[in-house]
Amino acid sequence: MNTNHLSPWEQEEYVLGQRTPEMLRHLTECAGCRAAVARLEHGVAIFRSAAVEWSSECLATRPQQLNAARRGSPVLALRWAVAAVLPVLLLIFALVSFHPSSTRPVQRASDISDDALLEQVDQQLSVAVPASMESLTNLVTTESRNGSVATSARGSKHIVQTN
Amino acid sequence: MEAVEQLIYAGELSPLRDRMIAELADVNTLCATYRSRIYRYALLSLRDPDLAESVTQDCFLRAYKAREEFRGDCSVATWLTRIATNLIRDSTRSRKFQFWKTANSTAAEVGAMADRLRSPGLSPETFLMIREELHGVWDAVEKLPGKQRSVFLLRFVEEMELPEIATAMGLHVGTVKSHLHRALAAVRKAMEKAR
Repeated sequence: MNTNHLSPWEQEEYVLGQRTPEMLRHLTECAGCRAAVARLEHGVAIFRSAAVEWSSECLATRPQQLNAARRGSPVLALRWAVAAVLPVLLLIFALVSFHPSSTRPVQRASDISDDALLEQVDQQLSVAVPASMESLTNLVTTESRNGSVATSARGSKHIVQTN
Repeated sequence: MEAVEQLIYAGELSPLRDRMIAELADVNTLCATYRSRIYRYALLSLRDPDLAESVTQDCFLRAYKAREEFRGDCSVATWLTRIATNLIRDSTRSRKFQFWKTANSTAAEVGAMADRLRSPGLSPETFLMIREELHGVWDAVEKLPGKQRSVFLLRFVEEMELPEIATAMGLHVGTVKSHLHRALAAVRKAMEKAR
């Protein structure tokens, strides 16, 4: 009997399928090495069985999804989207370009109304004075009618002092 | 591999390549043929059914999009495995934070799987031993570094040949062998501990 037992490396080589005639000869003679190799093969085999079983079960719970295939043609999907949207865009463009008068007056009117509103606000700001100061405003306007703006300012000061 | 490359240069692989590209273009058939395999590889690498599904779908999507780039120097299965390997690597990099969740769920999974492996002829003692061994191997495989784990799964679960694994992983055959030896050593150690 060959007493040179298989090294762990050789046992692994055997499990990997790299078997030499010497290995095979030794294994037929040596029960210890045979048991060691069988143990390693058994470990790998139970792992494989369990792995395949688990994978099959997980896969069975999932529907046969082919999203990859569906997602695999994004260009086609894009073409359909463009085909659907393009007529709508063309229609909108045609409506806008063939009826220019419908938009312009609205814009002009809004411009006018904006200007008028601003003017009104300006007037309100310049004119509006508290009711208690209204009499003073009359005095100021009277004076400003007689002199320049500067004098009216001085006048208003004078009025304030006299009050 | 060299022989295949020579064929490519000689232009003799073109009809084969065209046939493979046609296979890649038919996504329905492609999924039907390879889905379970890619899903299993992703599931065992990630230990997360949802993420595995996502990786599987992305794998087919990428294969479909890049089908014209396929040179035909390996089988469609190997090419898909290569894409899946890259996707799995990306997923594990981004999900390291969530690793503890899957690690926690492993114990329950192994228990359930061992129950399914139970056959009527097994004595309770033998079953208990198998269960412990499976637990040890399962944990050992999970703790393997990324490449070692992938190589181990491709060899012992998918039963791929070493040159195929080398192509799928972008490694030399010698490196694949070295990873396998280390993985097997870890499995052996785990089994000895379980006894």
